Amino acid sequence: MDSTKLMKLREESGIKVIEIQTDLSSYAASDLRKVLEGLLAEKVEKVVVNLSQVSHINSTAVGALVGVAKRLRQSGGDLKICSLADNLTRTFNLIGASSVVEIYESENSALAAF
Amino acid sequence: MAQADIQLQIPSAAFYIEPVRVFVGNLAQSLGFSRKRVSDIQLVLDEICSNAVHHGSADEKVGVKLCISIDTHALEILVRDTGRRYTGEKNWLTHERLSEIEMNRSPNNERGHGIFIAKSLADMHEMQPNAAGGTDVRVTFRLPKPRDIEI
Ligand SMILES: Nc1ncnc2c1ncn2[C@@H]1O[C@H](COP(=O)(O)OP(=O)(O)OP(=O)(O)O)[C@@H](O)[C@H]1O
Ligand SMILES: [Mg+2]
Repeated sequence: MDSTKLMKLREESGIKVIEIQTDLSSYAASDLRKVLEGLLAEKVEKVVVNLSQVSHINSTAVGALVGVAKRLRQSGGDLKICSLADNLTRTFNLIGASSVVEIYESENSALAAF
Repeated sequence: MAQADIQLQIPSAAFYIEPVRVFVGNLAQSLGFSRKRVSDIQLVLDEICSNAVHHGSADEKVGVKLCISIDTHALEILVRDTGRRYTGEKNWLTHERLSEIEMNRSPNNERGHGIFIAKSLADMHEMQPNAAGGTDVRVTFRLPKPRDIEI
């Protein structure tokens, strides 16, 4: 099983959008890390991760998003996330990741923030 | 409801955590936990199972045991691993190691949030070395009082 197929990549005006179509517990979290590392390897700079179809996220997945956001910023880019369900927002807040990664209500507002 | 115990054993692989998370979520929902509390329980379960698989298992075959108990007051989940068995490794559950983990935790770090999450969200959280050379993690969630039940 490979959950990277449930992480759909597209491009919106020069920004990579990843739409996650799976819940992010441990197994899918390491696939998310692979997808994000793939983008880093391709020298992609601007990334939006759309979490509208995600109803669960764990610390490993949050950590992967934080780590890649920080690395992208070093090269002038960024990773922004959008469309979080309430429980996802609570998890980001509990970890403190909401102060490290920019979170937007909708994909459009995340795209517009670049 | 009388006391009930559910026992599960999964291979020590991340792949099996997701179906267990879904099962425990359904169980918690049936017990009347609020939607918010169900997702707390699922997150804590994910974190402690992930640790048992990634830090507390020598290989995939050793397996991780789960014992889920329900009584009139609480849902209790015990996750038991058998340890990594590094040669000469001391038990990791020392006061020094645990306070180091706690002190080093930062929102900027990619790792090191799992135990903090479990401690923060469970009503009770306890970690103990077990006879197999691994770790027993026990978390408890008080059952909702009737007035707390979301309809
Ligand atoms: N069951 C376990 N057996 C052995 N060591 C463990 C176990 N659970 C946790 N640890 C140790 O405690 C550390 C902290 O665990 P914690 O879950 O907080 O963070 P993490 O697993 O490193 O990262 P993440 O934020 O992805 O969970 C681990 O790195 C590991 O060294
Ligand atoms: Mg962990």
